[in-house]
Amino acid sequence: MLQYSLRRILGMIPLLFLTSIVVFTLAKFMPGDPFGGEIDPSNTNPEYIEEMREKLGYNDPIHIQYIRWVTNFVQGDFGHSTAHKIPVFDLIVDRLPNTIFLAIVSLIITYIFAFAMGMYSGRRPYTWGDNLIAGYNYVGLAIPSFVAGIIAIYFFSFQLGWFPFAGSVEVGLQPGTWDYYISRMHHVLLPALILGLMGTASYTQFLRNDVIENSRKDFVRTARAKGTSESAIYNKHILRNSMIPLITFLGFDIATLIGGAVITETIFTYPGIGLLFLESVDRRDYAVLMTITMLLSFLTLLGNLIADLLYGIVDPRIRLG
Amino acid sequence: MVKASLNTDGQVLIKNKQKQFSPWKLARKKFLKNKIAMTSLFVFVSFVLIAVFGPLFTTHDITRINFMSMNLPPSAEHWFGTDTNGRDIFTRMVYGARTSLLIGLSCMTFIIVIGTIVGAIAGYNGGKIDQIFMRITDFVLNFPFLVFVIVLNTILVGKVSGVWTLILVISLLSWGGVARIVRSRFLSEKENEYVLAAKSIGTRPIKIIGKHILPNVASTIIVQATLMLAVTIVAEAGLSFLGSGVPANIPSWGNMLFEARDSDVLRNKTWIWVPPAAAITITILAINFIGEGIKDALNPKSRR
Repeated sequence: MLQYSLRRILGMIPLLFLTSIVVFTLAKFMPGDPFGGEIDPSNTNPEYIEEMREKLGYNDPIHIQYIRWVTNFVQGDFGHSTAHKIPVFDLIVDRLPNTIFLAIVSLIITYIFAFAMGMYSGRRPYTWGDNLIAGYNYVGLAIPSFVAGIIAIYFFSFQLGWFPFAGSVEVGLQPGTWDYYISRMHHVLLPALILGLMGTASYTQFLRNDVIENSRKDFVRTARAKGTSESAIYNKHILRNSMIPLITFLGFDIATLIGGAVITETIFTYPGIGLLFLESVDRRDYAVLMTITMLLSFLTLLGNLIADLLYGIVDPRIRLG
Repeated sequence: MVKASLNTDGQVLIKNKQKQFSPWKLARKKFLKNKIAMTSLFVFVSFVLIAVFGPLFTTHDITRINFMSMNLPPSAEHWFGTDTNGRDIFTRMVYGARTSLLIGLSCMTFIIVIGTIVGAIAGYNGGKIDQIFMRITDFVLNFPFLVFVIVLNTILVGKVSGVWTLILVISLLSWGGVARIVRSRFLSEKENEYVLAAKSIGTRPIKIIGKHILPNVASTIIVQATLMLAVTIVAEAGLSFLGSGVPANIPSWGNMLFEARDSDVLRNKTWIWVPPAAAITITILAINFIGEGIKDALNPKSRR
């Protein structure tokens, strides 16, 4: 397992390197001059501009610029945001916890609902309840997150007034107080519910089929023959076996949640990494743009790595492949 | 069923006891009996027909802003009302269907073609070529899709005309999954004896791939195609909703939904955003059911 993990982790390095080249190249192709935001805009003297270009290193050969960017990047110096006038690092540190918080809460919601529905469907397949759950999953798969999001805001925020429709916390609350945490929870709940409930379909379907398959196996017959109660069979014997393959979904979920953050955060005006990304595209804030693109690529790679490692744990045959 | 028996003269007699069906014909029969899938197909085909022929019958001008008729609720004159720029929503829905379906169908075609070619070459050859092709595929799959589409679109917008930028970008970033699946099917399929037989009589590789293996893998590819159609339609709508998809002057369902980002429209002018939201959802639902139906029909183990 250790050898397999090391091989997988080392395999990430060339991919990260290639990604960094792609991100750097793309940033160079972006319309407009990133240089514009870093100098005094009122000074239009060509000599001054040329001097600053030289000083900031925009006249160096492209590979030197790339190496400088990567070296700084690895050391945690992500550059300076031209729109926010603060180091990109501080900006990311400010926004990233919101994205991670939303991802975790929505994952928990997905797990709770998927387990409840999957176990119910698996225990009573082809019944009225099972069909209802299957129908819900079809609809859940078909409604895109942004449509679900605006419908949810319309009903729960505007019509019923249960949830706020923007932001991550009430303005003016002191961090650390009880009200502050309650307010954060209140703000995250609607986007997390939407994301979480949209994500249950694959889990539920998988769990249902696996439970049905397991319930025909010998160990279940043995347990029944020994007089184990029906609920103990399902909740202990079968659930334990069916849960293992489900773990592998986690890695892909991380990648999906990270990628989907751009859309969810825009609908709910939730100040996380995704919203910051779109703002930086609009404002041509290149340092932020490059950092977030790298960060999200890294997190996607990490998600896939976790999925691979979990596969390796669950199915020993994969480690040898 | 074909039954071969040896008679006394040593001749092989083949009796056709029952009427024979090809696997494709069986699948078609199964699909035609599937009520949900057939209804979905009907819905989807009517959307396509509206998209193709609808613009011939619409009378409202949606290319210019009309200050006289802004934000009108549905009426006999404007079936679905008008939007914040005074354009008729029903007419925009018809044109939007054109854009959204064009993008979905073209992306699907590109993705399937690229994915199948890469997957087929990698899977058939194996070894070094497989390694190289699959590393490239992994690389493409590892990009966070939305983020790179937005970045690429920002670069390319204006250089390639209108919707084709988006089609190109989405296709370039989404063929990885199809390539992986086609490759794994080719890997297992090429071990069969008919491939060996074809090889032994000197058939060229391209013919083995195209004429012998591909028909056996077709069912997987068709199912993938329906999946990709749904995924790309959602991708277009999502990107346009974010404001980085189709240029704002071209109506698409996603662009129309973009207006719902204004909280006044979302709260008080439901007629503006409900039609595109409903159209997207119904289309995706229909495509998913068609896909399920095809999957079911092509699976010889399922009986319905």
